[in-house]
Amino acid sequence: MRRVAIAASATSRFEKTTDKSIFELACEPCIDIIKNKEIGIDAVLLSTCSTEQYSSTIVAEMLGLRPKISHRIDNLCNSGTNAVASAYSMIAAGLCDSALVVGAEKSDSTGNRLVWDVTRGAFNFPVHWASMFAKAHMSKYGTTGKQMAAVSVKNRKNAARNKNALFQKPVSVEEVMSSKIIADPIKLLDCSRACDGSSALLLVSEQLARKFENPVWIKGIGQQTNSASFGKAAENLSSLDTASRAAKDAYLMAKTKPSEIDVAEVHDAFTILEIMAYEDLGFARKGKGGQYAESNKIAINPRGGILGCGHPIGATGVAQISEIAMQLSGKASERQVKGCKTGLVHNLAAAGSSATVVILGA
Amino acid sequence: MDEFAENLRKEKFQVPVCTVCKAKSWPPSPFCQKCLSRTVFRKVKTEGILQEFATSFVRDHEGVFGIVDMDGIKIIGSFATDRLQKGMLVKMTKCGIKSGTPFYIFEPLR
Repeated sequence: MRRVAIAASATSRFEKTTDKSIFELACEPCIDIIKNKEIGIDAVLLSTCSTEQYSSTIVAEMLGLRPKISHRIDNLCNSGTNAVASAYSMIAAGLCDSALVVGAEKSDSTGNRLVWDVTRGAFNFPVHWASMFAKAHMSKYGTTGKQMAAVSVKNRKNAARNKNALFQKPVSVEEVMSSKIIADPIKLLDCSRACDGSSALLLVSEQLARKFENPVWIKGIGQQTNSASFGKAAENLSSLDTASRAAKDAYLMAKTKPSEIDVAEVHDAFTILEIMAYEDLGFARKGKGGQYAESNKIAINPRGGILGCGHPIGATGVAQISEIAMQLSGKASERQVKGCKTGLVHNLAAAGSSATVVILGA
Repeated sequence: MDEFAENLRKEKFQVPVCTVCKAKSWPPSPFCQKCLSRTVFRKVKTEGILQEFATSFVRDHEGVFGIVDMDGIKIIGSFATDRLQKGMLVKMTKCGIKSGTPFYIFEPLR
């Protein structure tokens, strides 16, 4: 297999809502990547849950591109990381030498409501399954609302240093704890928010990577899909089997281990998910994720995570990888994590029914 | 799926059962998830164990809800009471479709 690098990345400002079409949103970060670059684009992969037909090819056309390969990837919140896995595979296999991966979503995306899942009954908002996870983790391991609040405080503080983040104002533990209960024990400030946003990455072969300054290498990818429905995913409410399996495969492929990760972007659509991620990724022992949330041993979600940046679901995975690529290439400006060499991205879809873990190296 | 919804509209809770190995196929599928044979809809036991529960304050989705395991059929239903305990035996008393969304109502058995 050929080595694959991330040569460039760009992310738009995430906003509550805009007048822009999904196509305009998608094109914006791509323009920053492809203008003035003397490199052909062999593939355009669009990550979105928007249902417009032929959308990837429309984006390619709008950008004046004639790629060999063009298609859309839709896998809810996991779409962006799945698109990167597909682009990686195409380049590693020699099918193409360069791939533009773009994630874009509108705040009113059909992907925000899980209408197919009859196992959720009338309680079919993501916050409902998140509350089940939180209650289970609390009763099994003693995780507290204050520990969950620490996640929100950290990520909102980080987001305040990210001009593209939806939320620019830090919050205190007290503010999180006193915010409105949405589904017990999940409070308003434990929740992320859907928004408009887009992010793009340029993946290239090793040969093309030589033309770029500080490319970041994709060292390992793990993916696991267990189900589409909560009723099937809910075998264990206090940990996510998909995430731990994906992490195991990614660590193996990258020949690395949790203690060697310097910086990570993890899926924090709800604060409890970040706590579960610490455990599923091996950063903390099972049941100790809550304590880990208060210790901040490594840099987690330096861009502000989903809680701070907002959650345009098709763009999220791409933006997570963009952040870690920027960190590892030393381009993260005021939020740069000093001396980071190995980074990790963890992303989930629909109650953790599928998960992707990507490991990157400087 | 359509037959599952049609039954729910008639307030009947039926799930696909394999015509060959008799395994229940949940979430509903026309194919057995174990042996890939065709399934047919059958009535199943609607008693189960309450695994976890919480209270929703989401507008138009208020109330106590919980995940119930009915012999491998895991489903989120609503409860008229919050006097619940994890591990208690509960029974589905009503199901249906309201505004295009399935609903399942449970009550504690003891």
